[in-house]
Amino acid sequence: MKSFRTFISFVKKEFSHILRDTRTLMVLLVMPVVMILLFGFALSTELKSVKVAVYAPSMDVITERIVTQVDASPYFTVSHYIKEKSGFERVMLSNKAQVIIAFEENFYHRVVHDGQGAIQILVDGTDMNIGQMATFYLNSIIASCRQELMMESMLNATETLLPPVMINVNTKMLYNPQMKSSFNFVPGVMGMILMLVCAMMTSVSIVREKQRGTMEVLLVSPVKPVSIILAKAIPYFTLSVVNLVTIIFLSVHLLKVPLSGSLFWVIVVSMLFIMVSLSLGIFVSTIVNTQEEAILISSMVFMLPTLLLSGMLFPIESIPVVLQYVSHFIPAKWYIEAMKVMMIQGLDIRYCMDSVLILCGFLVVIVSASILTFKNRL
Amino acid sequence: MFTVVAEDIAKSYSRKVRALKGVSLSVDKGELFGLIGPDGAGKTTLFRILTTLILPDSGTASVCGYDIVKDYKEIRKRVGYMPGKFSLYQDLSVRENINFFATLFGTNLKDNYETVKDIYSQIEPFERRKAGALSGGMKQKLALSCALIHRPDVLFLDEPTTGVDPVSRKEFWAMLKRLKEQGLSIIVSTPYMDEATLCDRIALIRNGSFMDTDSPSGIISKFDRTLLSVKGSRMPALLKALRADDRVHSCFAFGDTHHIVMNKSVSADVIGSLHSSLLARGFDDVEIKSIAPNIEDCYMYLDTINR
Repeated sequence: MKSFRTFISFVKKEFSHILRDTRTLMVLLVMPVVMILLFGFALSTELKSVKVAVYAPSMDVITERIVTQVDASPYFTVSHYIKEKSGFERVMLSNKAQVIIAFEENFYHRVVHDGQGAIQILVDGTDMNIGQMATFYLNSIIASCRQELMMESMLNATETLLPPVMINVNTKMLYNPQMKSSFNFVPGVMGMILMLVCAMMTSVSIVREKQRGTMEVLLVSPVKPVSIILAKAIPYFTLSVVNLVTIIFLSVHLLKVPLSGSLFWVIVVSMLFIMVSLSLGIFVSTIVNTQEEAILISSMVFMLPTLLLSGMLFPIESIPVVLQYVSHFIPAKWYIEAMKVMMIQGLDIRYCMDSVLILCGFLVVIVSASILTFKNRL
Repeated sequence: MFTVVAEDIAKSYSRKVRALKGVSLSVDKGELFGLIGPDGAGKTTLFRILTTLILPDSGTASVCGYDIVKDYKEIRKRVGYMPGKFSLYQDLSVRENINFFATLFGTNLKDNYETVKDIYSQIEPFERRKAGALSGGMKQKLALSCALIHRPDVLFLDEPTTGVDPVSRKEFWAMLKRLKEQGLSIIVSTPYMDEATLCDRIALIRNGSFMDTDSPSGIISKFDRTLLSVKGSRMPALLKALRADDRVHSCFAFGDTHHIVMNKSVSADVIGSLHSSLLARGFDDVEIKSIAPNIEDCYMYLDTINR
């Protein structure tokens, strides 16, 4: 009973430390919100009504058809028709359009009789991502147009329409057919924030006691070192749960992430990951002696790989093989994978059981490592 | 029965850094024991070993009858420790700090108020103030209260007066004296030689070994050389000249005078002969007096013969 009261007063003290450092607290609480908003809206890599200018010297049936389809797609709006070839540059520079579709003269005639019409797509390259995606989308729109035309010509076969040259734009897009980037980054942001709050903040707060000399006094007291550490972990666990709830709430209501899987399991697996990160933070604090070291190690060894190797920014399949192996050792990778399965694909926990089990394995290994390295003395 | 007994304690941090080279001490119940020595002499290491924070390489020690290696848990219930750079929790108030340290030992301020009343009552008016906003002297009082809140049998104070103003230092030592009278054993370290005489017994520590352990008066009485104080207008040149003199064993600048320890076989009229030889070398306004040694003189002397 007495030791429980001691423990409670310990936890209270840790909460006071966190709550009184209002600036750090604000950063920790506001950061997930800012990140969700930034990734969700400002840094979005998806296309939304890109302005398209059209140069069509002969406004014929096929040209019109293509232009209408481009305009009908949610990604583009045809904003401008260019009369003269010389007007291209002016349109681009004055920001009237980011993409120009230029049909060759007598386009219809060329397609119907020669079997190949030429279209030139001019893209504003200043935003490479947008540019590449715009070309990609336009290509697929034009390709589908050609296919339609071909089908029609085969059906009514009266007109001798030669089969147009096929452009094979066959990209498979599962689960996120619109390439909605806001979905994919949500698990990533979750992984990163939780890693930051748990691993970095916990290790810094434990090491701070070492550096200020208070750890010496705490050790020369009947309190078990394990309860010192546990008392440190509880406030950060709470803080992480608050962050977790914020992120889930914002993603569902603001970004309209479907969260089609079970919310219960999403939270359970997140808690598991929070515990993994907390134990990582504790482990770091047992091996370093200064706050600077703690920050460096948690940012270089935990945060950076989480950012780069967990599939948050780049798909894991596209990074070098060696790094792919390295990525297996990053807990956040498995967490993000599990979250993608449950939040975005909306599948049952059974489909990400392997990731969950691996996270459990991490937890066991790290906790035992910290217990082994933890010292009852200085 | 001694409260603290240490036997031939040695500790090295690496092959080169030998912090303690086998020191022994014993502290009685109700004794105020001082560890006197400069920075880096090994004071903090000894404190950490006795408070079970680090393990000695060799040697044995017991605190309150418990072995520092085997029974460290028992010792941790019974000692109060104030580390050198102990800074409390700056973001907690005075009251919160003392309450926290009280619950740490399973007690509370109300039950033990009598123990700390003498000291804590002085900072009580500032109870709601953050510890970080206290003055240096008040911080030390709070830290001492925190170390005393669980009525320890032994108090370990590592340089409690370093960086504290002279008035607060005096107050602090007066408090230690009252605590000692209540039967508490206190081991305190300090780099200030003038504080040594306030202890019952002291150990002069240098480079990880004790040069002498005795009461301050005992240490002073062992000083068997002639000690002179020399004053003149050209002090740096005078120091050089004195060090070159073969009758002089050692010479140190001591405030505005030089203290010189003479070699054993000097004549009775050493002042007169030293005076005339200095006059011959052009020091015409030299003033030489025979003085009684203080702890610092003893420390410096022992330091030269142990080198």
